Amino acid sequence: MSGSEGPLKRFMRSDLLSDTSQGDDSLLHVGEVISSSTTEFVAEARCLDKAPSFGQFVQVTSEVSVIGIVYNVYSQSIEPNRRPTAYGKTQEQLRKEQPQIFELLRTEFQVLIVGYFDGHNPVYVLPPQPTKIHSFVLECDDKEVCSFTVKADFLRSIINASNVPVDELLVAVLRVALQARNSDQDYLIRMGKELSRLVGDDYDRLSSIIRRASS
Amino acid sequence: MLDLSVVKMQIDQMVDDRRLLHYDFEKKLAIALREYKRWSGKWRELSEKISRSNTSWLLPDFFDGLDGAVPFSAPPDGLSVAATDGSQIYPDRHEVAPCFLINMGYILLHYDSGEKPIINSKPMLFYQDEDIVQEWDGVKTYVNQESVNAKRNALELSELSELSIAAKSMGHNVVSLSDGTLIEWALEGKPRDYRSQMLSEFIASFDRMEEEKIPIAGYISQTGSQELVNALKIGLCPTGGLDCKCCPRKSEVRKVRDTLPVKDENTKVSPIEGVTDAMLMRFILKPYQRTPTYRSNSKILREYGKHWIHFFYVNTGDEIGRVEIPEWVAKDFKLLNLVHSCVCDQIIKGRGYPVALAEAHESAVVRAADRDAFYGFLRNAFVDKNFEARISTKSFKKRFLSI
Repeated sequence: MSGSEGPLKRFMRSDLLSDTSQGDDSLLHVGEVISSSTTEFVAEARCLDKAPSFGQFVQVTSEVSVIGIVYNVYSQSIEPNRRPTAYGKTQEQLRKEQPQIFELLRTEFQVLIVGYFDGHNPVYVLPPQPTKIHSFVLECDDKEVCSFTVKADFLRSIINASNVPVDELLVAVLRVALQARNSDQDYLIRMGKELSRLVGDDYDRLSSIIRRASS
Repeated sequence: MLDLSVVKMQIDQMVDDRRLLHYDFEKKLAIALREYKRWSGKWRELSEKISRSNTSWLLPDFFDGLDGAVPFSAPPDGLSVAATDGSQIYPDRHEVAPCFLINMGYILLHYDSGEKPIINSKPMLFYQDEDIVQEWDGVKTYVNQESVNAKRNALELSELSELSIAAKSMGHNVVSLSDGTLIEWALEGKPRDYRSQMLSEFIASFDRMEEEKIPIAGYISQTGSQELVNALKIGLCPTGGLDCKCCPRKSEVRKVRDTLPVKDENTKVSPIEGVTDAMLMRFILKPYQRTPTYRSNSKILREYGKHWIHFFYVNTGDEIGRVEIPEWVAKDFKLLNLVHSCVCDQIIKGRGYPVALAEAHESAVVRAADRDAFYGFLRNAFVDKNFEARISTKSFKKRFLSI
């Protein structure tokens, strides 16, 4: 019997009654926006340690489908005055012996906003309004990734971002875009040309990005 | 405003006084230890002496003897531990509305199965007339901190029984832990109808748990109990505590008192006065060992019926904890053993204190900021609904005092 049913129901947190933290596949969202601005947002992952990967494209649907790239993922205590301390046990042992700690931790991820979809058309400018707090965050599928990355304008958004590991993010994003295109080498060459314009004559930097993106 | 410089001087004085009082403490402990060993083999004799005594000291009944250290065994696989703890915002008659709040923390931890635990809290606001003004023994009484505490304790136990029974009905092997004593000694001396209403909730919760065979235990950290030491005091007394009020050794008491570095008019006859059970047990129990069970004789327990509370001490590694259990747990070796192993396992997992109780407390706790927010909501709600409300002049002055 699921924990969300039966006599224990009244003792459970109402927000957990749909058993979302168990990773129910019927619910597609990977997180929920908890802090929002024009240029980026922070989301709480639906499950601990289950944030979308670094460099992954995600979207938040409000008036428009805002598109962003995950540039930082972190896990921490839900209470500021309680710090995790080492137990010297494996994850499996901890799940068996200290089940409460997984309820006291949460994973959050930071997303750099790189544009939005106007209908089916990608727009490479910041959306007119930030995403709403508590909006659901969904991962973009391969089709959406291909559609948004068809032009190289998103690369400029990354290069110009501050407080973001720019080169690492470029490598990760290009790998995601390439994977969505079955490693299409023509696409990589096209993106490489655009990048060379963006990084100027910094050949070392460019070759490092391209080499790592295609490896 | 608190004059901290004066407080500091008073604290220093207090510590100096305490140090003098503890001057001969090692000697006292040695006597207590000697007496404990002396009576261990003839605890029935001590028991008889106790039954003949006439003293106000709280004295235990021995069923399994006085001494003995029972080792801890690992709990069975797949155990679930339920705990509740309540926190409160007391009624404040200077505030806009007479009401109080109890926030109940619920914990249900499932071990070995990987099943998701329950960690939750639920606030309950009490504001109906019958919650605020109650009539006991013909006297109308406005709700106060004491009655809120009694209500919270009764709710903690009834919610714990509901949670444990719900968990058991879903196939879990449950042990229930409660924070603090199961002996509602604060009800002693209260009006009979008040006592019986408060206790009826307690008894009903115990009844339900007994029916389901779910063991319940109250865990007390830093216990100051002296029941065993009191028994040893009776053992030491040449008259066997026949009538403490007319103690024939009063002249001796005076002599003993005169030899003490600090003159204390209240110094009693016993050379082991001031030693607690926990101090004694530190020398007896090895980590995670427990004492035999003893039956408490708090007056209020006469109204507990078949749920009379027994207790044992356990060495947690860091301190001596006191575990209280109803009679039907104490008399059932399997349940008693389960409680002992569960408490020790919880202490190991919680690094010194049962993890389920620590989490229940964390879930329930109402901090000062929460209290301020609560009263903020309250005032705003009255204003929003155009409902005339006043805080007392005293409360107003506390917040906006001009110079």
